[in-house]
Amino acid sequence: MAEAEKKKRYAMVVDLRKCVGCNACTVSCKIENQVPEGEYRTWVKEIEKGTYPEVTRYRLPRLCNHCDNAPCLAACPVKATYRADDGTILIDYDHCIGCKYCMAACPYDARFVNPIRKTAEKCTFCYHRVQAGLLPACVTTCVGGARVFGDLNDPQSLVAKLIANNSVQVLKPEMNTKPMVYYIGADRDIMGARYTNLEKGVK
Amino acid sequence: MDNVTYLANIDHPVQLGVMIAIYFFYTGLSAGAFVLSSLGTVFGIKKYKSIAKAGVVMAIALLAIAPLHLIGDLEQPQRFYTLFYRLNPHSAISYGTFLLTLYPLNSVIYLWFMMRRDFAQGAVTLTGFRQKLYRFLTFGNGDLSEQALAKDDLWIKRLGTLGVPLALLVHGYTGFILANIQARALWHTGLMPLIFLMSAMVSGTGLLILVLILTERFLSPEKMLTPERKALILDIGQLMKWFIVVDGTLMVIDFIVLYYSNAAGYAAAEVLLHGSHQTMFLGVELGLGLLLPFVLTLLSKTKKSLGWISLGSFCTLIGVIAMRVNFVIGGQQLPLSTDTLNPYTAAPEHLLMIGIFALAEIVILYLAFRFLPVYGLPKNPTASPQNFKAGHEVM
Repeated sequence: MAEAEKKKRYAMVVDLRKCVGCNACTVSCKIENQVPEGEYRTWVKEIEKGTYPEVTRYRLPRLCNHCDNAPCLAACPVKATYRADDGTILIDYDHCIGCKYCMAACPYDARFVNPIRKTAEKCTFCYHRVQAGLLPACVTTCVGGARVFGDLNDPQSLVAKLIANNSVQVLKPEMNTKPMVYYIGADRDIMGARYTNLEKGVK
Repeated sequence: MDNVTYLANIDHPVQLGVMIAIYFFYTGLSAGAFVLSSLGTVFGIKKYKSIAKAGVVMAIALLAIAPLHLIGDLEQPQRFYTLFYRLNPHSAISYGTFLLTLYPLNSVIYLWFMMRRDFAQGAVTLTGFRQKLYRFLTFGNGDLSEQALAKDDLWIKRLGTLGVPLALLVHGYTGFILANIQARALWHTGLMPLIFLMSAMVSGTGLLILVLILTERFLSPEKMLTPERKALILDIGQLMKWFIVVDGTLMVIDFIVLYYSNAAGYAAAEVLLHGSHQTMFLGVELGLGLLLPFVLTLLSKTKKSLGWISLGSFCTLIGVIAMRVNFVIGGQQLPLSTDTLNPYTAAPEHLLMIGIFALAEIVILYLAFRFLPVYGLPKNPTASPQNFKAGHEVM
């Protein structure tokens, strides 16, 4: 039992009622992790819904979901993608062969090829910072305090409390990936892809 | 709601591109050619025995080149060998690594047993370069006794029997590579391995017909298409017709179910049938690649003409390349988090590699059919007639 209590499971809650879409998280992540130009470990998706004057903007900060049932983990043929003890999904850059199968497997578009390192890459929940007792860069920098990071296995953690006391959503729950990034107040029109334009036969 | 506008998002370019599509094309050709070759040696259909060697030579030559596309597509190609020991039992690619090794090895040994008699005879009756080559290729086993030949036949049967499931697995696993990915609606169907297998049979038959016509005419000892050979090629054309029927049926089934699937599946079907991929899918993959060859192998006039059958065979190749591109690249173009198709541009170095590999493939096929006794031993005026009684000269 004591062993189970010690085991951490890091998760993030993004309270969209507090997100203003400033993209400070996007910038701090790029700086912290030296993400090359044109690539993003986290980004903020934004849509506008409705017809004037009944119109609202919705935002959705995106990052790797560090799924409990991660398709990328199953896809990697050389076990370069692995799970750390705290549940975080990481990539061993020294062993990634760059087959890109994980990118095809991820339902969340979370992965990309680092054009300099020539391996797969994605959000690590700032593993290096968390190991040092810090919060992920995007959480530290979030001006509205929308991003909350913590141990889901600790009932006293803010993430556990937020998930317990709010209606939360995850992206594509039907894929059974069990994402560890939870959203409060996510709009259904921003959570997935939008096929309307494609179905009309727009070339 | 209908009035939704995307304001900010990032692009997610397609990652598995044309190299992977062409790789699937090569393995399909190889598996198809092998299965056709096994009709005579494993399934005992006598009339196909004469093309058994040609089929296996093709299967090996194609599979010698196919994995180069995979390695060339890696971001870290120099690490490819780690696939052999850093295994992930959940990944179809891990299984593929071993299938892609075992299958050509098995095929090479299988071919050796099929050609050993020719090597042994050639080492005695021929002169010059071929004699030296064949003597070397007997690997010291020049025994031409009845028992030795019977033993060859037994091994041919055994290795062929092992080779058929290996060939099917080698191509079936490529279907699983796509089918196991739930994220991509167009891929995630249990039909995918079967669709890949059937399109492999269609294109494998198509290429076999073309290779048979060219090599029998120009590289066989007789340097001509004898009436028997012509009849057999037309017969293989009829086999191709049925492969096309099954392949087309699977495609229809797949699309019917896609239309009853979730939003992503519905969108996938729409993009291929009515959207931006309509020309590639309906026009090239189905129209040019399946319908036209089907009609050519069906009509009583065209099905008896080598010219029309060659055209049909060539079209199946174009069609199956289109199929690989439509499914591999098209499947990833369907957005997962955006409102437009994911962009794809073929990297110039990938196109260059595909060109070089294709040239290498043609050279390997040429050398194999030129120097190996695929159609029996070359005519040698100094050799005594009984050396040819093995029957290779008359097919």
